[in-house]
Formats: sequence, C-alpha cells, structure tokens
Amino acid sequence: MEKIGMYLGCNIPLKAPDVEQSFRKVFPPLGIEPVDLQGASCCPAWGTAPSFDLNTWCAISSRNITIAEAKGVDIMTGCNSCFGVLSEAKHFLENSEQRKVVNASLATINREFKGTSDIYHVAHVLHRKVGVEKIKESLKYSLDGLKIAVQTGCHALWPSDVYKVKEDNPYHPTMLRELCEATGATVPHYSRLGSCCGMGGMRSTDAEKSLKLFREKLMSIKEETDADLIVTTCSSCFLQFDMSQPILKERGLIDFDPIPTFYYTQLLALAMGFDPSQVAAISQIDRSAIIGEIQSEKRLIKEVA
Amino acid sequence: MIIDQKKIDEAVATIIDYGGHGIRRCVQCGACSAVCPGVRAGFPLLCRNLIRHLLNGQLEEIIEDASSWGCQACNRCTENCPRDVRPQEVVFAFRRYQANQLAFSTSSVTSQMNLFETGHAVYTDPREVRKMVGLPEVTPTSAFDDLAKIEIQTLISNSPMGELGLF
Repeated sequence: MEKIGMYLGCNIPLKAPDVEQSFRKVFPPLGIEPVDLQGASCCPAWGTAPSFDLNTWCAISSRNITIAEAKGVDIMTGCNSCFGVLSEAKHFLENSEQRKVVNASLATINREFKGTSDIYHVAHVLHRKVGVEKIKESLKYSLDGLKIAVQTGCHALWPSDVYKVKEDNPYHPTMLRELCEATGATVPHYSRLGSCCGMGGMRSTDAEKSLKLFREKLMSIKEETDADLIVTTCSSCFLQFDMSQPILKERGLIDFDPIPTFYYTQLLALAMGFDPSQVAAISQIDRSAIIGEIQSEKRLIKEVA
Repeated sequence: MIIDQKKIDEAVATIIDYGGHGIRRCVQCGACSAVCPGVRAGFPLLCRNLIRHLLNGQLEEIIEDASSWGCQACNRCTENCPRDVRPQEVVFAFRRYQANQLAFSTSSVTSQMNLFETGHAVYTDPREVRKMVGLPEVTPTSAFDDLAKIEIQTLISNSPMGELGLF
C-alpha cells in the first residue's frame, strides 16, 4: 500500500476531527496508507508568519515538510490554505539563495530542507492516485438522484505554476465534480463555480463584506442548481458554508433552509458505509436527514467487506 | 498630488525588500483587479489600485488601510497577470511592511500568540470532540508535542517576528 504523510493543519484536527476521521477511514480501503507527521504545526496560516516575514514563513513551512522527508513520504493536505502555503513555500525554496537562508534557520533546530517530498491535496490523491473507478468500486450506497453543488476553493487552483497537480483550467475545475459524480450523484454546473466563498482573511477583516460575497455564491448555487447538498475539498470553505448559511437565514437574507454541507471525504465515507457519528458528526446545519437519505436501504449497492 | 521620485524609490524598494519583486513590471492593466474577490467585496486598496499608490510613492500615507488584510491570498491575480508581477506578493509585501510597523488589527495578535504557544494559528482544546468521533484525544501535531513547540518557538524568536515584542 502506498504511504503518504497526512498533514492535518489546524482546523481539521482541532475543530473538525470528523473530517480527519473520514481520511483515516476512506484511504486504506482505497489502497493509500496515511501516516502521521508527528509534531507538524500550522502551515503557517496566511495571517501569521507569511504576513510578517517571507523567510520565517518558509522556515516554518519547510520544517513541516522535513518531517515528511525524514519518513520518505510525500505530503497530503486536507486544508486548501495548507496546500497553498506549503506549495508556495516549496516554490520559493527552489531559489538557491532563499534555500540557503532558510536552511540556516532550520539548522538551529537540527533540520535541513531537501525538497524531496511533493505536496498533494486530498482531492489530488483521490483523483490522480486512487482514481474514480476505484472509488466507484468501493461504494456501499449509490447517491444516484442526489444533486451536489461543488466548491473546490481557491488555494488548490491558483497560482497553478506552484502546484504539483493542477486542473486543466483552474477557472473551470473538474476534479471535485468527477469525484462527486463517482458516487452516482449529479453535479450541475453553476455560474459562480469559480468564485471565492469569502472565508479566510476577508472574513476576519470585514465579516460583512465576506458575507456579501458568500451570499452571491450561495444564491447562484440555489437558483441555478437547487442542490440537495454542497460538497467541498476545502476545510475553510466548509466552515464558511456551514457557519454562514444559518446567519443569512436568521437575518432574513435567504428564504430557503441552509443547504447541508460536507467535506468530500465525509460524503465518500458515508457512501462507503462508515458510521456518521464518527465521520460526519460536527456541523451547525442539521445534516441528519440527508445522512439518513444517503445511507438508506434503497441505496444499497453491495456489502463492502 | 505631487510626484516625488525619492518617495517612489523608497516605496518600491520597501515593497521589493518585503518580497514584492515584480512591482516594477506592472503596467496598470487591471487584469488582477478584474478577478480579485477582495476588490469585488469592496476593499479599496488591493491589486491594481494598491500597486498604483505604491508606484506613486504613497507608502506611509496608506499604512492604516486594512485592505491588504482582506486579501484572501487566492492568487487569481498571479494567474491572470500578463506581466508576471505576481500581485499577491506585492499585496503581501505591503502587508508585511504594515505588520512590521505594527499597523495591524489587535485581533490578529491572538493568532500570532497561538502559533507561538501551540504551533497552531487556530487553537481550541480538541480532546472532547476528538474522543466523540473515536479518535485519540491528543493530535499528532505540535499542540501536544513539546519538542515541536520548542522548535517553532526557536524559529519565531530568532526571526524578525520575534523582534516585534509580541511574545
């Protein structure tokens, strides 16, 4: 089984451990063994070291990467920001001058960045290493007839020149759509597919501007797809969709019920038959009805060992 | 506005020093702003307009503007720029200039403290929720790893961040 370093970041292990649990459940049956990167820290998030000093950003990022290098594995991140931050740091360190400076910092903690581990996103590992055919074979329940609106999130798309795996056209991403279609669901296009959800620095700087942007995206989803659920491979987008729909509803800014939102591996884990109280347990929006629908007897394809 | 070459040189040199190496290549075409979610949301000084101010030598004049902190770091601008300016790096260079002059919101200090103390920018005690979903209560991350925390603190303390007196 191919081993890959599971880089957790902050939100997933601390606030959304059901997403972490979904990684641990879905990957082994698909032939990928996630290994822990003991002692890994924040990537560091855009609002921290990257906002103060480029070399400190690169030092903290590359310290994380050296943990994977020591184990001889590549890195898989579940959080888009982590994917972006680590990929960009690795890109900066292709410059030998910058690498020398950063390695001098790392030497103070007895580490050296070598650049031998590549950075993948969970979605990339599923799409490129596992493949949709294998995902189809692993399902216990078919999502046939359900409509999913997908949200890829910014930091897996741009800037494409620093990423190991890229979309053919980052403004029209297809990987997550194909991963969702593998479950049997329908994934209609909507015009704001490539738009930002408004989470991140924007939300902490000006929540009202963030909510305005988010509402535009949400209305496009609702009006153009009337989706049963929203699926994302970005843990920040997940938090925005799960936390801000109830706010808009409460303020009377949307006239429909919040659309249940899942991280992709949660959806996959449910379709593979794993226990929702472990893999899809934490959300503001009540997801029990759609979880019951996904794991209903009429959707059973076969018993998976 | 009076254009002062000395001020322009100072602004450009500051931005380059903080990592915005491509600023001089900007031709103000606006391809960056056209795709910027921050511009769309209404932040006045991002992408093209921020670069315009900087290329006009306006640096200190805009130090209190919070727009740069609304940047999502999404890099749509970098993808779109026909001149390889990498506008996000210019926005972040300006943000670094602000940060190093301590011109940032106090709410942002919490993330720096969290990062220094636990290795996580966002930290909440995860033990209860982790147990609930059937995971070991402690994460395999720096939060529960003393050596990792010492390493992070060493890196930050010996950096320009360590000189700001936040920790």
